[in-house]
Amino acid sequence: MGETSQIENQFKVVTAIKANDNLVLKQLYQKNYKKVEIFILKNNGSMPQAKDTYQEAFIAMYQNIKANKFTPTNESALQGYLYQIAKNKWTDFLRSSRYKKTSQMSESFHLKDEDNTLSEFDISEEEFNPQNLVMEAFNQLGDECKKLLEVYYFQKKSLREIAAVFHIGEASARNKKYRCIQKLRNLVSPN
Amino acid sequence: MSQNNNITQEQLERIERYLNDTMPDEQRRQFEHQLNTDEAFRLLVDDVKVMLLGIESAALKNNLEQFHDEMVPVKKLDQTTTTEAALKMKKTRIRMLKFMAAAAVVIFIGTFWIESRSKSPDRLFAKHFTPDPGLPTTMGATQNFTFYDAMVNYKQGEYKTAIGKWQTLLSSEQKNDTLYYFMGVAHLANGDELEAINYLQNLTENGSISFQKETAYYLGLAYLKADNVEDAKKYLTFSGTEGADQILSELND
Repeated sequence: MGETSQIENQFKVVTAIKANDNLVLKQLYQKNYKKVEIFILKNNGSMPQAKDTYQEAFIAMYQNIKANKFTPTNESALQGYLYQIAKNKWTDFLRSSRYKKTSQMSESFHLKDEDNTLSEFDISEEEFNPQNLVMEAFNQLGDECKKLLEVYYFQKKSLREIAAVFHIGEASARNKKYRCIQKLRNLVSPN
Repeated sequence: MSQNNNITQEQLERIERYLNDTMPDEQRRQFEHQLNTDEAFRLLVDDVKVMLLGIESAALKNNLEQFHDEMVPVKKLDQTTTTEAALKMKKTRIRMLKFMAAAAVVIFIGTFWIESRSKSPDRLFAKHFTPDPGLPTTMGATQNFTFYDAMVNYKQGEYKTAIGKWQTLLSSEQKNDTLYYFMGVAHLANGDELEAINYLQNLTENGSISFQKETAYYLGLAYLKADNVEDAKKYLTFSGTEGADQILSELND
C-alpha cells in the first residue's frame, strides 16, 4: 500500500515536471545534487565539473520525461534515473580522449561508487540531440525574444498575459512570438 | 531540425494546438490523418516538437543556475562524538552520574541563558520579523516585468533570486521607492541586516512618503538584528505601527 502511494507520488512528480512546475524541478534538483557531487569528487572530478555534469544530466532527464521516454517503476525511480544519467555522463567523460589527453589515467579504471545497486535503466551512449542545437541558438536571441519565448513556452503564460507584460496588444504579442520563432529557426539552420 | 525554415504562423499555431491538446476532436482527426499520410507535414511537426523542447530546455538551464545558488549547504552531523559519548556512559555508573550532574547544571544554566536570551534584540527580531507580504503579481508594463518576476520569487521565499533580479533594475530608470523598499526587506529576510539598513535608510533620507511607516518598522527591525537597540527604538517609535509598539514594549520590559 505504502509503495503504491510512493509510486503514485513519482507519477505526480513526472506530471509536474512535464508541466514545468518550477518548485518541483527545484526540489528535485536540490535534493539529488549532493549524491552526484560525492560520486564525481571521488572519481577525479572537481566541484565545477560536478555541477556541470549534474546540470547536463538534469536537462537530459527533463527532455526524456517530456518525450515520454521514462516511466517510474518504483518509489525512487526518478532519483535513481537522474543519478544514473549523471554517472554515465561522468564515465563517458573519463573515457573520452579529451580527458585522457590531460590525465595519466590508464585505459581501464574502476569507478568508486558507494551505490552498488545495479541500474535498472538502459541508458545508452548519448546520441545526437537536435534540441541541444536549439538551446544554443536560443541563447543567441535578443533579450526580448528570449523572455517572450520563455514566458510563453516554459512558464506557460497566455498571450493575453504576455501582452500585458510587454505592454502591447494581444495580436502584436502573437506576431512577435511568431517572429521570434522564425529568428530561432534561422539561427538553428540558416538558409 | 530540417533545412526548411518556412513555417507559416497558422501552421505553427495549428501544430501547437495539437501538441497542447487544445484542438477540437474533428480538427484533431484531420490533423492525425495528415500526420499519417503527409511525410513533409510529419517532418514539420517533428521539427516544431524539437524546437519547443529546445526552448523549454534552454529556459530550464537558465533556471538551474538559480537552483544551484540557492542550495543550502548540508550540515554534517558529528555522529562519532555522539557514539563515543554513549559508549563512555555505559562504562561506569559513576561516570554516568557525573554526566547527569553535569547535564543538570547545563540545563540549569541553559534555562537562565534562554530566559535572558528571549529578551535579547536578536531574539526579539526573530520573534517579530515577518517579511512584507509583497505586491500582487499581476502583469504590468513591459519595463515592470523584471520587477514582478522577482516579486514572484520574493513571495516564494527565494529572496536571493529576487534580490539578484531587482539589482538589475537599480541602474535603470525604474529605480524607485518601491524597489528600494523591497530590496531592503528582502535583504533583511535573507539575513543581511546591514544591506537592509543601507536600502531602507536611503529611502527615509530621501524624504520618501511611500511606505513611510513600514520602512521605519523594518528599519527598526534591521537595527534590532544589528544589536543597535538605540536606533531600533528610534525608528520603531517613528513607525508607530501596532507591531512596532509591541516590540517597543517588549524592549522596555
